[in-house]
Amino acid sequence: MVDRLCLEGEPARGALAHVCALPDEDATVPFDDPVVQGVRQDAMAWWIPLLGSSLVCLTTLAVDESRCAGAITVVTDDRHLGDDPFLRLFGGTVVKTDLFSHVAPPPGPVLERYRGAPWPGGSF
Amino acid sequence: MPELAPGSAFPDLDLPDHTERPRLLSEVAGGDPVVLSFSRGWWCPKEQRYMGRLVELQAELEVAYARLVVVSVDPPEVQAAFRAGLGARFLFLSDHERHWLDRLGLLEEADTVHHPYLPVVFCLFPDLTIHSRYDGNWFLGRPTTSELVADLRAISHGIRDDWAPA
Repeated sequence: MVDRLCLEGEPARGALAHVCALPDEDATVPFDDPVVQGVRQDAMAWWIPLLGSSLVCLTTLAVDESRCAGAITVVTDDRHLGDDPFLRLFGGTVVKTDLFSHVAPPPGPVLERYRGAPWPGGSF
Repeated sequence: MPELAPGSAFPDLDLPDHTERPRLLSEVAGGDPVVLSFSRGWWCPKEQRYMGRLVELQAELEVAYARLVVVSVDPPEVQAAFRAGLGARFLFLSDHERHWLDRLGLLEEADTVHHPYLPVVFCLFPDLTIHSRYDGNWFLGRPTTSELVADLRAISHGIRDDWAPA
């Protein structure tokens, strides 16, 4: 599962998706793992500001309510993808895509997920 | 000019954030309570100290489903640098064009150099109704982290149906 908002709007044509995930079904970590928490803190602190207007959207990948299979950051410019903090979870692959739409990044500071939805999606 | 007092509706600010992305306050709230802190700007020692207090609070708010937003007249790129230096992970909104300053009646008239906001902190319900207001022209008027947590607890208690599950 991805944050549904990333797929609901007008698609950003010719964007680049940095997919930090592995095809292996067992390649998951708990969302509550401190590493996953830390990576999301880094996303809020400097990753999203670093990407600036290049950012189309980002989403974690949720296998179920508790397990994280990585993340996808969608951009229009690949300059900073080597700095992606989600690389600390899984290796990254860059894929050209017309699938994702522009979504305002999370305002913070909330990192906890809403009812098991993939961060940053969901709400009460 | 709106009455910015408890029980009144706070205007739905439309301002760029520290990355220059346009934001709407109601969308930023996203169904959560909001601490909305108006700040003079990066240059003011009192603001630097108070932002440090808000940074202390952010780790709790990360897991508490509550938002924290700072508004100042600093340009977005200055806010981004200030935010990074603080280690903040919450949102800054820039009113560098003074779009809302007069409309909110929050101009600090004593500062004729920067024409900044008065330091005022609001705790808002998700629909932007004002729960509490703290006038921080004198530093001791600003809410402590304990006071903010108490306000956010009161708001959350009122809006979360599962506050005390049976």
